[in-house]
Amino acid sequence: MAKILLVEDDELVRDMLAQVLKRAKHEVQTASNGDEATELLKTSKPEIMVTDIIMPQKSGITLISEVKNKHPDMEIIAISGGGRLDPTGYLDLSESLGASVSFEKPIDNQALLMAIDLLAHSKEKN
Amino acid sequence: MSLVSSLETSAPWIILIGGVLFSFQIILLLWLKKKFREREMSLLRAEEGKQNLEKALLQGQKLQAIGTLAGGIAHDFNNVLYAISGYTEMAREDTPKDSMTYQNLGKVLEGCQRGKELIARILTFSRRQHHDFEPIALKSTIESALGLLRPTIPASVTIDFIADANDCVILGNQTQLHQVIVNMINNAVDAMDGEGKITLKLSATPPFCKIEMSDTGHGMDQTTMERMYEPFFTTKEVGKGTGLGLSTVHAIVSEHKGEISVNSQLGRGTTFTILLPQEGVPNNG
Repeated sequence: MAKILLVEDDELVRDMLAQVLKRAKHEVQTASNGDEATELLKTSKPEIMVTDIIMPQKSGITLISEVKNKHPDMEIIAISGGGRLDPTGYLDLSESLGASVSFEKPIDNQALLMAIDLLAHSKEKN
Repeated sequence: MSLVSSLETSAPWIILIGGVLFSFQIILLLWLKKKFREREMSLLRAEEGKQNLEKALLQGQKLQAIGTLAGGIAHDFNNVLYAISGYTEMAREDTPKDSMTYQNLGKVLEGCQRGKELIARILTFSRRQHHDFEPIALKSTIESALGLLRPTIPASVTIDFIADANDCVILGNQTQLHQVIVNMINNAVDAMDGEGKITLKLSATPPFCKIEMSDTGHGMDQTTMERMYEPFFTTKEVGKGTGLGLSTVHAIVSEHKGEISVNSQLGRGTTFTILLPQEGVPNNG
């Protein structure tokens, strides 16, 4: 079980993903954009952050850059539906800025859960 | 000599000279007519070419607009499809496997899969048609990339950015250019073992914009320099680098019709120079 912060602006995707993560016995907090996530991180210390990239107000890219500075131990998973600009470019950039894994939507949720387990286990070992 | 006899002697000459002059006139007229027609044809061709160009441009713009539109729709549609398939999978997990509901939910997932393939096709189209190249001011692009990076870089690494007073504009893709700066600076930070100075210089050397990046790291040997752009080539510890950083940089610079070169000495740091074609400055070289 891991403590996860889920940042996603699309309400349907946010609710669905939160359910998927909870069913896999993870503890989930949600934020609908980068600003909300920053506020939440002032009081909460999740082990893993799953964040969308294209979001209003603060984008996922800016959020990743900030989180890597303030919480260097937090594992980050970037997800993007892409299309507006080159989605692969965004995901590559998010990995260069410190995201451990990135997924292009629609995501295979089993693969996402496996990535979360792997990251959580490697954190436990360290 | 009488007038008659002198006329008799010079008549053939007068006729000959007259004939030659007349022929010249005819040739000149024919030549002028030909030139006139050629000019007329070339004007017509130029006009036709202009019209074709305008047509192609309009067609290109239309395709680009369709691409952008398709890309935007695809992005939102991916979210919708993702939500549908996610909820359906969960509902299916809660349903007995031998029930009709389980089978029907399976059909919903099949539908989602078809939708996913369709979106992938639309996105391929949108990416092929829409190159996302636009005029980019390099100074502000580098500044914003540095803004993204600074929080992730150790305090013991200083980054100096020196730019010409006049900004340098190229045709490019902002995200890809961010990627170039981020990858190169990450490499430099690793080469310096987290301590040292990175100097970025931006200048206009028509017809190019020049980005120079020097670090005070451990430099590279000849073998590393020869192989550094190869995908998956890395000198970093296992798990620390993918070996794709510089090959991505190289691919992006090439896509922008630019050049990248390196100067490095072991123990003395490395300088990368990137030349990108300035927008609106023809390259005759």
